[in-house]
Amino acid sequence: MSKKFKITICSGTACYVLGGAQLMMLEDLLPAELRDEVEIVGSTCLQACRRGDNAQPPFVKINDELIESASIARIVDYLRRH
Amino acid sequence: MTYINNAALIKRQLMVRLARMMFAGSLGTRVDYIPLQQAPRESESVRCCIHHDRAVLRYRLMALLGFAIENEKPEDEIRSLASYVAEADQKGGTRFDDKILTVIDEACSSCVRANYRVTNACRGCVARQCIMNCPKKAIHIESGHAVIDEKICVSCGICAKACPYHSIIYQPIPCEEACPVNAISQDDRGKEKIDEAKCIHCGRCLQACPFGAIMERSEMFDVLRDVLNPAKKTIAMVAPAIVGQFNTGLGKLVTALKKLGFDHVVEVAFGADLTAEQETAEFIERVEHGSICMTSSCCPAYVEAVNKHIGNVKPLVSDTPSPMQLTGEWVGRQWPGARRVFIGPCVAKRAEARKGKNVDNVLTFEELGSILVAADIDVMECFDTEPDQIASSIGRKFAIAGGVAGAVVGAAAALGVNAEEKLFNGLDQKAFATLKAVDKIIKKTTFIEVMTCEGGCMHGPGVISNPAVARSFLEKMLKEKP
Repeated sequence: MSKKFKITICSGTACYVLGGAQLMMLEDLLPAELRDEVEIVGSTCLQACRRGDNAQPPFVKINDELIESASIARIVDYLRRH
Repeated sequence: MTYINNAALIKRQLMVRLARMMFAGSLGTRVDYIPLQQAPRESESVRCCIHHDRAVLRYRLMALLGFAIENEKPEDEIRSLASYVAEADQKGGTRFDDKILTVIDEACSSCVRANYRVTNACRGCVARQCIMNCPKKAIHIESGHAVIDEKICVSCGICAKACPYHSIIYQPIPCEEACPVNAISQDDRGKEKIDEAKCIHCGRCLQACPFGAIMERSEMFDVLRDVLNPAKKTIAMVAPAIVGQFNTGLGKLVTALKKLGFDHVVEVAFGADLTAEQETAEFIERVEHGSICMTSSCCPAYVEAVNKHIGNVKPLVSDTPSPMQLTGEWVGRQWPGARRVFIGPCVAKRAEARKGKNVDNVLTFEELGSILVAADIDVMECFDTEPDQIASSIGRKFAIAGGVAGAVVGAAAALGVNAEEKLFNGLDQKAFATLKAVDKIIKKTTFIEVMTCEGGCMHGPGVISNPAVARSFLEKMLKEKP
């Protein structure tokens, strides 16, 4: 059974250094009721930093949507709204 | 730094900008634009206005170029950052002195002296337990609510306990609260000042300040200048705690460092292997001469704490040089004349490096990370390379609390000397008190490991990764090569 949300966390160096390291704790810090709906995957650079617009790292993809300035709180908020 | 916050992010972004300009060769001419790039005109200011933001950013850049804000003379306030770059270029390492950390007074918020304050939850009650029980008569009523006079308050906390609405809160001065040795205190303007006679350079105040007012005097300029110079040889000596810092094992990091321009990469865990061997021999010799205990000496903040605060422990501290020193010495023999750069989680190592001749520069993982971002090097996309000098798992375990003690006690046992292990995991007031009296407490032959940072080096102030995550990489590495 595939999960409702696939969260891809960018582990490219830019994302990692500029706030992304904290996202590695996502699995432990997810509220219990969301855990079953979520599959968490790490990835090499998503190339979001190279798009040239003003989007800020760290980047996270939830299903197909790119989230910028990701934080654990922002991710949880997104999951709750969708 | 385990909890990312905006102050840390701004610092890292500034380091990336600085490094990018160095790679482009434009630092000397364009450095003064960095505050404008970081705080553009239309953006929202963090402080009162964009100009105050830019003024503080300028001070941050001075610290990143290796200067101490405390040394700024009044006439320096109109100096361009380019003039500081030129000074760094001209003076080189001589611009550094004992002052490892610097406080940016313009950034310091002069947190209120009195630790207790009445919030607006106060209901102006008739009982007035706060006022009636205050030993200093520091509280009075203003517009129907209690107000504490911070000039009189002695922070005894009785009012907070007495208030039936819990409306009086304890508000710490974060840097002073974090400091284990009372080395930071306010001057008469309320600005924090570090007393070098007491400071052990553990970096806790730096992590604690919510305004990012305390900064390290970075050596990234000196390191990058030589890394970028093909005529200069540079050696990266990576601390055992580097494993897992970029969400990956050691191999990819070695490649990334070479891509950056380091000529050789050596594991300081190799020096730790040597330290463990020497320290075990020293321990056994001391025991044979009647000593009951000996402490480790690899944590520089602990060694400084002994020298500055608990001198009676000094005879118990091992004379064996730290892994960084032994690695630097080895590297100095292998590649004479090369710039030896220690890359680690630690701020205090800078003080240790300055005292000896074996290490030229110290970078933190945070600084390295920012430099790699500026160089557009993605660690995850590098293939694996072995370091030029590999270590055993004994040395690699020095990254976590218990590693040193385990190594020494284990090796001593193999040579027939049975000893206990005692671990001081994190230096706080209680640990200091215990350490001061340690020779009276120890009953059996004991090796004492003292770590200033709770959990060991992986929890140091210069880290990027959450230590729990980094630890899993270390454990994986130890499993593959026991």
